[in-house]
Amino acid sequence: MKGNIQPFRQLCSLFLIWLVMTGCAVPGRPPVTALPAEAVPSDTEQLPARPGDPREQASIQLTEQGRMFLETGRVDEALGLFERALNISPANGYNYFYLSEACILKKDFYQAREWNELAAIHLRENRVWMEKILEQKKRIWRWVK
Amino acid sequence: MEKEKSANKWKWKRPLACSAAVLVLVSILLGAYLWQLAAVIDKRFSARRWSIPSTVYSDSTILFPGQTVNPNTFQDKLGRLAYSTVSTEPRRKGEMRWQGESLEIYLHDLDMPSKHQKGYPVRIELQDSRIESIARIDTGEVLPVLEIEPEEIMLLFGAEQEQRELVSIREVPAHLKHAVIAAEDSRFHQHHGFDPRGILRALYTNLRHGEIRQGGSTLTQQLVKNYFLTPDRTWRRKIKEFLMAVTLEFLYDKDEILEIYLNEIYLGQKGSIAVCGVGEASRFYFGKSVERLSIAEAAAIAGLIKGPNRYSPYEDIERCRERRDWVIREIHGNGSITREECDAALAAPLEPAGYATYGKKAPYFIDYLIGQLPVFYSSEALASRGLSLFTTLDTQVQAAAEQALENGLALLEKTHPALTSRGADRKLQGAVVVMQPKTGYILAMVGGRDYSVSQFNRITQAKRQPGSAFKPFVYLTGLDRFTPSSLLSNEPRSYEIDGTTWQPKNSNPVAEHGLTLRKALAMSDNLATVDLAMKTGLLRIMNTAMTFRFSTPLNPRPSLALGAFEVIPLEMARAFCTFAAEGVQPHPLSMRAVVDEKGNMLEQQHLKIDRLISPGKAFIMNTLLCSVVTEGTARSLLSRGISFPAAGKTGTTNDTRDAWFVGYTPDILALVWVGFDNGDSIFAGGSAAALPIWADLMKSLPQYTSGGWFRQPPDVVTRTICRESGLLAVTDACPETMEEFFLSKNVPVDFCRFHQTIKTDRENGGM
Repeated sequence: MKGNIQPFRQLCSLFLIWLVMTGCAVPGRPPVTALPAEAVPSDTEQLPARPGDPREQASIQLTEQGRMFLETGRVDEALGLFERALNISPANGYNYFYLSEACILKKDFYQAREWNELAAIHLRENRVWMEKILEQKKRIWRWVK
Repeated sequence: MEKEKSANKWKWKRPLACSAAVLVLVSILLGAYLWQLAAVIDKRFSARRWSIPSTVYSDSTILFPGQTVNPNTFQDKLGRLAYSTVSTEPRRKGEMRWQGESLEIYLHDLDMPSKHQKGYPVRIELQDSRIESIARIDTGEVLPVLEIEPEEIMLLFGAEQEQRELVSIREVPAHLKHAVIAAEDSRFHQHHGFDPRGILRALYTNLRHGEIRQGGSTLTQQLVKNYFLTPDRTWRRKIKEFLMAVTLEFLYDKDEILEIYLNEIYLGQKGSIAVCGVGEASRFYFGKSVERLSIAEAAAIAGLIKGPNRYSPYEDIERCRERRDWVIREIHGNGSITREECDAALAAPLEPAGYATYGKKAPYFIDYLIGQLPVFYSSEALASRGLSLFTTLDTQVQAAAEQALENGLALLEKTHPALTSRGADRKLQGAVVVMQPKTGYILAMVGGRDYSVSQFNRITQAKRQPGSAFKPFVYLTGLDRFTPSSLLSNEPRSYEIDGTTWQPKNSNPVAEHGLTLRKALAMSDNLATVDLAMKTGLLRIMNTAMTFRFSTPLNPRPSLALGAFEVIPLEMARAFCTFAAEGVQPHPLSMRAVVDEKGNMLEQQHLKIDRLISPGKAFIMNTLLCSVVTEGTARSLLSRGISFPAAGKTGTTNDTRDAWFVGYTPDILALVWVGFDNGDSIFAGGSAAALPIWADLMKSLPQYTSGGWFRQPPDVVTRTICRESGLLAVTDACPETMEEFFLSKNVPVDFCRFHQTIKTDRENGGM
């Protein structure tokens, strides 16, 4: 009989160890994924807005924020802001330029070309920006080729 | 003797051995059973503990100085976002105060995909509904743009029909824990899942009062019963409950058990949906997060556990108060609160937040959205994984569209009483879709008059003839050969189709024999349009329609020019977006992102565009469609209060079966359709039935109407033409001239011969 009690003890011990282990194995709460903080406006060259056009000014603010995201490689976040900027003011030509930049980074050259064309329509009176737009167009074509 | 002694020894040892064997066997079986129970508990608790419905959110709201807002819809929106008005300066998230035209809001936290921002107090200065300035109250910082959190528009429930807001035990205030323990299991921290003293006390209490006043189950037993077992009152279930409770206490510590209990417990009913857990209950009963519950409120919630519907403040506030007071006294009796705290809690008024069921704010939009989700988001996944779906919907636009449609249809029924002489399920119908032309964002979708009566989405599922609303695509195709000033024939003509004669007619007689392309479209002239279509080529028009992604079948018949084929309204709206988006067509977008319950981005959709026509053609179409509004079939818009530049087209089908208006500005596009599902006549055309709804809608959305117009692209030039001949004007000869837009590759070179001749004759005569 004694010989039979030993396995029972072993079984009970195993059982208790198992219970303790399953108790320990309960996963804790995983850490909350940190979400990006609000983009801080950069001190680089500010995009000019037409004076007296608050809608365009607000839109350009969002374009600025999106540009910051682009500079840090957060293309999806940047695109989200450019979309918002576009919704506020379709007349914000800079936004089309940066939408094109975001699409270039995503290697979506077809979309980049469309946005580049719209940037050219909206900024065609701005010589400095037209040079940038032309340079962007060349880049897009280089990639397409 | 020795043998007898041995026999005697075995005589008493045998039963002992048998008993031991039985005991061992029972222990093994019990151990195995406990092992199995432990496995069941562990499996359930280490996996998803609850099915959490996914939440559909609207888009966030952007405010900026200079923007005009609709104060009524904005105030409604703040109400839906659970901002409550206070009389003092807002000090806590969710509070707001109006001071004249100044609005102070303590914003909630903003949790968006890729954006997380703690709430802060802001002051919005308004003047005549226009935002003058936005500034933080705490730092004084002037804000150029303010983003207000998205609105919850729907919860996607599964078969359980339960809603719970999960809370961590760290978020639960001590007084709520004390209240629940005092109300349900005062010896929770002393027992190991099973409490004989509690049972005896309950028995004594119940015997003393002659009724069931107290239960003997511990919190752990209640949790086991709710979570793993059926409510059957059998011995077998009771034993299982006991064993599981003990096992649970062995596996988990008290705080973990309490946390699961507080999230699991049923606390009432919100319509057809069960309110589960203290997090959700705090919102439902007191409109606040669990951390903000006072002692009195915590006691009221703890008091609900015994009978959530019996003690609900929405059922019987006095009964709820009595129960709450009993719990407060119990907490005090346990020494968890002081006498002063107890007295203050007893004196506190019981003020529930106000009963509200879970809404389904844009049901047609939600149906469309779910249809657009990738296939791996099954209905089971959506009902259980607690996903957050961020959409493009603007709740202010949605509410305005619903209201405008209802008002418009009611007015139409009042004007034509014959429209109401049908059953409830055959009522006059209408549909509205509002989009942002450049991004394709669907801001609002109303697929019918009443979702509870008909779930058929007339924006995405209906196929209706567009009538004259299709004409812009005929004129667009014609722009390759013709110009806005080209003359079209307005003479009646017959066409042979499949051996039969078809003779188009104008709905309203037009005296002129020849009309410019601009005027023909503005007046929606059928004869001139068919003339243009025949000269342009029906196959070319069909190609244009296919390029614009009309998916319904088309036939190259002359009646194609008058929209005598079916289209899906959403495809119609998307096609018009191409004009408003300077020649690029956006893909209609309803979903922006899907985020899991831990905040991880699962899916993100961005705008996508395709260039279909040149910016020049789009611009010319915009000016042509602007003429429809300024001098054509939609000119009543001005008298209806639409003073900003807009473009659009009316549409009416044979026997006035369908009425359409598609109107837009550079910022916003809306399509309105009115008709009967069975094709009965509505006795009114697009300008009388659909246009007023569009006007009503646009007037209530000042935040979307900037008053801006399209920029003239480089491939468009302006020339002065003679109104009469449509040719280049001769200076001092043509009596009526106008500025007209032309594609630079298609500029007229001929001067007005008619007035040139008169001028020459005059000059010659003068000589």
